Amino acid sequence: MSKEPVAVVGIGQTKHVAARRDVSIAGLVREASRRALADAELTWADIDAVVIGKAPDFFEGVMMPELYLADALGAVGKPMLRVHTAGSVGGSTALVAANLVASRVHGTVLTCAFEKQSESNAMWGLSLPIPFQQPLLAGAGGFFAPHVRAYMRRSGAPDTVGSLVAYKDRRNALKNPYAHLHEHDITLEQVQASPMLWDPIRYSETCPSSDGACAMVLTDRAGAARAPRRPAWMHGGAMRSEPTLFAGKDAVSPQAGKDCAADVYRQAGIADPRRDIDAVEMYVPFSWYEPMWLENLGFAAEGEGWKLTESGVTELDGDLPVNMSGGVLSANPIGASGMIRFAEAALQVRGQAGEHQVAGARRALGHAYGGGSQFFSMWLVGAEPPDS
Amino acid sequence: MPEVLKAPLVVEFPFARSLGPVQSAFLTGLRERVVLGVRTTDGRSLVPPVEYDPVTAEEIRDLVEVAPTGTVTTWAWNHEPRRGQPLDTPFAWVLVRLDGADTALLHALDAPGPDAVRTGLRVRVRWAEERTGAITDIACFEPYDGDPAEPAGHTGEFEDVVTGIVAPARLDYTYSPGRAQSAYINALADRRNVGERCPSCRKVYVPPRGACPTCGLATSEQVEVGPRGTVTTFCVVNIKAKNLDIEVPYVYGHIALDGADLALHGRIAGIPYDQVRMGLRVEPVWTEGARYPDHFRPTGEPDADYDTYKELL
Repeated sequence: MSKEPVAVVGIGQTKHVAARRDVSIAGLVREASRRALADAELTWADIDAVVIGKAPDFFEGVMMPELYLADALGAVGKPMLRVHTAGSVGGSTALVAANLVASRVHGTVLTCAFEKQSESNAMWGLSLPIPFQQPLLAGAGGFFAPHVRAYMRRSGAPDTVGSLVAYKDRRNALKNPYAHLHEHDITLEQVQASPMLWDPIRYSETCPSSDGACAMVLTDRAGAARAPRRPAWMHGGAMRSEPTLFAGKDAVSPQAGKDCAADVYRQAGIADPRRDIDAVEMYVPFSWYEPMWLENLGFAAEGEGWKLTESGVTELDGDLPVNMSGGVLSANPIGASGMIRFAEAALQVRGQAGEHQVAGARRALGHAYGGGSQFFSMWLVGAEPPDS
Repeated sequence: MPEVLKAPLVVEFPFARSLGPVQSAFLTGLRERVVLGVRTTDGRSLVPPVEYDPVTAEEIRDLVEVAPTGTVTTWAWNHEPRRGQPLDTPFAWVLVRLDGADTALLHALDAPGPDAVRTGLRVRVRWAEERTGAITDIACFEPYDGDPAEPAGHTGEFEDVVTGIVAPARLDYTYSPGRAQSAYINALADRRNVGERCPSCRKVYVPPRGACPTCGLATSEQVEVGPRGTVTTFCVVNIKAKNLDIEVPYVYGHIALDGADLALHGRIAGIPYDQVRMGLRVEPVWTEGARYPDHFRPTGEPDADYDTYKELL
């Protein structure tokens, strides 16, 4: 029996900011979820199950927050699942929800992901001192910067490519009312003059620390037929994992990422992603990951991804727009960041991305990764149902 | 079986909790010696209050004062209070349904012993002398045989509202690196780098994990590698992490020890940070009594060819 087609009929997110001191965690997830329900013109009673995701519990210090968030998400009396795959969790949370619909376990599922970074300090959370080990690691930037250097060496990319990505994403964010960073007067020179934090990564090439949530309503064909607005249809979705460190790991272009993309393209009938996909929203927490993922996801040959960035192909008005929303570089509520990528892909094919809409986007890829390039989740959504 | 190392690991952080409107009123109320609940759509009073109706999922904001007196609905005796608990002498954990409330609040009951506690016991709040807007503003409950107190009908509107609290959390672990890493760490004490080889793919892991993550097989064949190695890649850290006591800038390097099949991570020094490069040949520098090399320094050999380490990136 074939799978049930999955439609995205509601999307909501909060305005991502450094600190939402006016709301509790419950209030934050509620805000995004209410907006997703409103977009779908549904009520809590229309939801059959809730799937929630966030990054590690000690990012807020609330153990198993899903237990206390059941009320806020209208989950009482319904199945509720919590997903955790580090930074990719927003994507894998959406995929778990989508699979519940695709398998006809549930008709309509609410999925929500969040992080309230202001309640903690992620750099602390990612640098816990382990006995007998030399304490060296300085947060995610310190972890990923050597891989960026390895990419620069391998590809021969000019030093300036990272700053081009940051400058592009921050300008895209100006068109997205939900983005955290709105740097109206940003210039390329400012990005290039910003301090080196983890050489070769500059301050302006790193993601901010944000409070935010994102939610989507996923439903089956019958639900899509009742939807007030055009749905986005899922054409493919996949997750892959690999160890953080192992002999033979390619930290620049991990095999799990390649395999995940290949699975999604196979499901969606994508022969040439560069030609067949209209817009890409990928997880780029440090600017250089744009050219790295362009290669990993098959949009460019190995060592060639930076050329797409440098030549403007990935600009909002380019041939292959990347991170139209402003990306993770412009808002990073960690647990939600993957879902925001997935939601942006869906907004694009629904034609509802507002000022950062890519004209005529029919197929868009949403991508997330997490851990030490360890977890990957992606989906491809289209404007038409998958069987048409 | 050789010694398996163990050490305490404490994970501790003062989390900053933003309360939202309902918890904000509840905790501000405690500061003012007022206990607030919230009225649900079907008219019940929930204490402690919540933001969303557990039955209908509707937002609920109708705050209602309840009495500081109530009834124990169930309890458990705590023989050995731990650090940070409400009382430092043995006490009862109790669920108390305050007069006027439909749900029970978890707190401590100061009682001489378990024989003095029973379900149905009447109790009242003992307020803390210094109150800041926290659940600890209720010092504990105490047995009470008077009449139910009359709530004053407070609306939940306060001056100088508490909007956030600091919630310190602490986890005490006993950390063990396991057999393979213990052997590695013990060998490091003799200034030797001892990894383990996978019986199937023949890759040498340093530090070893006791199993090959690719083949899923246990490893036991010990292989001494290094002490020299090659810097495969690195970054210069210019930002201090919250719990790291290292002067910045410092170089965080990936170092493939000669004979190892993946790089380990270490600090590179003995050379200006802006002269560190991929392919640099390095060796460990030890300090007396340390469990690991303090850092790696250049050996003075010519740099390694990129082709010799590119598969290790």
